[in-house]
Amino acid sequence: MEVHDYLKTLCPDLHITRGEYDEEMRYPETKTLTIGQFKLGLCHGHQVIPWGDLDSLAMLQRQLDVDILVTGHTHQFTAYKHEGGVVINPGSATGAYSSITYDVNPSFVLMDIDGLRVVVYVYELIDGEVKVDKIDFKKTTTASH
Amino acid sequence: MTEAPIEAALPESSSSSSVEQNRQFAHLRGVQWRINLGILPSSSIDDLRRVTADSRRRYAGMRRRLLVDPHIPKDGSNSPNLVMDNPLSLNPDSTWGRFFRNAELEKMVDQDLSRLYPEHGSYFQTPGCQGMLRRILLLWCLRHPEYGYRQGMHELLAPLLYVLQVDVEHLSQVRKLYEDQFTDKFDDLSFLDNDLTYNFDFKKSPDIMEDENGSHGNVTKVRSLDELDPEIQTIVLLSDAYGAEGELGIVLSEKFMEHDAYCMLDALMSGAHGSVAMADFFSPTPAGGSYTGLPPVLEASAALYHLLSLVDSSLHSHLVELGVEPQYFALRWLRVLFGREFSLEDLLIIWDEIFASDNSILDKVAEDDTMSSFGVLNSPRGAFISAMAVSMLLYLRSSLLATEHATSCLQRLLNFPETVNLKKLIEKAKSLQALALSANMSSSSSSLGGALNWSKSAAVRGHSLSSDSVSPKTPLNLVPESYWEEKWRVLHKAEELEKSDSTKQVQTPKRGWTEKVRLSLSRTGSSPAKVESGKKDSNSSVKRSLLEDLSRELGSDEDTEKAHCDEVLSQKNSVCVEVEVEGQDGGKKEITCTAEGSLSGNAGSEENLSVYSDPTSYLNGANDQENDSEKSSVASTSSLEESDDHSSTIPDESPLPVSDNPKDVFPKSGLNNDSMGNSLTVPKERKLLSGKFQWFWKFGRNAAGEGTSEKGGGTFEATKSANCENDQDNTAGFLVANASCNSSISGKGDATDQNVMGTLRNLGQSMLDHIQVIETAFQQDRGQVGSLENLSKNGLVGKGQVTAVAALKELRKISNLLSEM
Repeated sequence: MEVHDYLKTLCPDLHITRGEYDEEMRYPETKTLTIGQFKLGLCHGHQVIPWGDLDSLAMLQRQLDVDILVTGHTHQFTAYKHEGGVVINPGSATGAYSSITYDVNPSFVLMDIDGLRVVVYVYELIDGEVKVDKIDFKKTTTASH
Repeated sequence: MTEAPIEAALPESSSSSSVEQNRQFAHLRGVQWRINLGILPSSSIDDLRRVTADSRRRYAGMRRRLLVDPHIPKDGSNSPNLVMDNPLSLNPDSTWGRFFRNAELEKMVDQDLSRLYPEHGSYFQTPGCQGMLRRILLLWCLRHPEYGYRQGMHELLAPLLYVLQVDVEHLSQVRKLYEDQFTDKFDDLSFLDNDLTYNFDFKKSPDIMEDENGSHGNVTKVRSLDELDPEIQTIVLLSDAYGAEGELGIVLSEKFMEHDAYCMLDALMSGAHGSVAMADFFSPTPAGGSYTGLPPVLEASAALYHLLSLVDSSLHSHLVELGVEPQYFALRWLRVLFGREFSLEDLLIIWDEIFASDNSILDKVAEDDTMSSFGVLNSPRGAFISAMAVSMLLYLRSSLLATEHATSCLQRLLNFPETVNLKKLIEKAKSLQALALSANMSSSSSSLGGALNWSKSAAVRGHSLSSDSVSPKTPLNLVPESYWEEKWRVLHKAEELEKSDSTKQVQTPKRGWTEKVRLSLSRTGSSPAKVESGKKDSNSSVKRSLLEDLSRELGSDEDTEKAHCDEVLSQKNSVCVEVEVEGQDGGKKEITCTAEGSLSGNAGSEENLSVYSDPTSYLNGANDQENDSEKSSVASTSSLEESDDHSSTIPDESPLPVSDNPKDVFPKSGLNNDSMGNSLTVPKERKLLSGKFQWFWKFGRNAAGEGTSEKGGGTFEATKSANCENDQDNTAGFLVANASCNSSISGKGDATDQNVMGTLRNLGQSMLDHIQVIETAFQQDRGQVGSLENLSKNGLVGKGQVTAVAALKELRKISNLLSEM
């Protein structure tokens, strides 16, 4: 709860989905929202098995009918462009322990959504240094399925 | 002084050339203003076009550079340094950083823009216009980071854009009317669109080529350019797409309105190497060459008040006493160049005048080595701005003088009336402009010091008096030492003339009254207490104002005459007094005027200065009262003589430093009363009361046409002591005197002059008015609407209050008596 409140102070517009060990029952399993021209989907990812598998996540993306799917659970940053959509796993912001990932590097992602274009800035802390990466993604105007 | 003639020559030449300029583009404000602001040359059309094109190119380049959009990847940059250039980067060079800083500025600008000119929202609130305004302001602030964005800059920019828009609209109208002039011309031949075949007559073509203006070849209805109105001609030439610099040089262009407006704003803000730079008004730090060490806005406000004190000292002193610092209202007036006080159409006219004034810095005619004191307004344009402000103050004169609270004054000033005779205002401003220029040029460092003292002590209440005492020393400095000696000689000469005057008989009935007055006053004047010269100063200033008010009510002077006199005298040196007094056969009005001149010239009530200005105030009062009667010259000289004697007695008193005393004034008066809240009103009332005493006293003395120095000094001291202490005894004593006066007057009623009766009646009337003022002040203070009797029951009321109220009632009775006569 404290973390929730703290995050709220950073930005009042906060969207949370339920994680594997969350005791707070009121968080939904998945969430969808629209920012600009993009539909975003949010899901923790422990529900999708195998964990971190692209095809399974793509299934979820189609299910939610979103352009960008944001997941987690693996504590490892990955980003895929897949079938006209993007699946992003920002990793763990704190670098917390994960049973499936060795050597977790803290990382997070900043998405700049501007019309039909989204620029993803990835910030990773590797060996004590902040590394920044950028991924461009343009939404095609054709209706995605 | 070879500089002086050059100075005189330059403004003239510039004014004449500007007059020409004005005529040239009078119908195209956008172009005219750009010329006046110094962006465009005032030469040929081609030059105009070239300069326009250059300025537009500069703006376009700047915009491309400064308005960054980090979303769009830079051309040719393959791998931007992401560590630096990401949105979270703290690196100041990062484009994202700049983007966010710009966004912050934009937010501030938008706050103001959304509220800009809602009454003209159909233009100003459109997204296109708002976008342009936003970009222009943003770019200017980015280019001048030391100023940042301040509220008000948008209001300076809006009319600039508006006039450009008006020009463009005008152009489109002209285009419709004179379509034929705007068709594409190749080699001065015009091909009409509906002309399918080229009816090109080869035989005629050489003639056509030689012909500079339109073609007479094919179509007869095409008129040559020369035949058109010169106005239309210029419009066509300015918007010709094939003139110098092509499309970029089209001076009246909708496409480049943003560019042009930016240039105008830049020139306005930076002052274009002139004196008045609007940007200075937004900066909190003193300007570089300033000797006052004040922020330019405060300096300019001080200049404003300085000019006001020269023109209308009573209003000035009234405002100063109330504690109305000029920057309270002048800040808004100056920062947006009166944009908030007038409607847009009126404002455009005012700005026409402001911009028409040249902005070149005037070199100070060096009397001492210091630079110009009010540097911010040291140009004809600056002079006009301050003159305009003073003219506005004079417009509100009557309502300002009527109020006794600073807040109501400010209310009046900050809510300038809607419908205004603008022409009159501007004319007045123009006449004051010359005065402002000379005042600026001749003001020395001492007046500078005065202004400095004044502004620095602005925080402390009651120091306004000190300001009054130290501010403009200028006229005094200009007056040579021998002036006072000459005056003395003049007085003696006048005295001899007076003795031969046959109207002395009429004065005798009054004598008894004045004698009694004097005696009673000297009786009641027990302990003169300390000489609070500071208080005396305020008294004299209020006296002066009262005198002028009363004399105005009484006198035969009409407002225009007085105004004329004001203007006339404001040009003259106060030394003229002696000349005019000597020429007594000359119009009495002239004497009045010059006396007023010396009076208003000596607005500052310095210790010495107030002494000498008192006599002139008496002179003023005397003159205006007796204008219809033949006694005026006599009275004036007599009072001059009296006051001169009296003035010689004053220096005998211990001269206390003026600046210290005002500090004592208000706390002292505070001590005198139980409630601090009344401390301000009570001294004022006292001053008013004492002012009335003075007035009566002077009236009597003038009528008597005589006076001795001791008695003069004595009565003055007596009345002064009346001010210093509780009024009770003095009031009672004076009332006794008044009652006796009345009886004596009525007794000799048949013997007195008819005019005197009339003046007495008016006297009574004016007394009533003043009593009402005091009463309203009381009631306001109390917050009660009830009658005055209730006041005595109020536990908080000090003893002085009650007796003052009683005194008021007595005065009321007297005035009723007088008015019935």
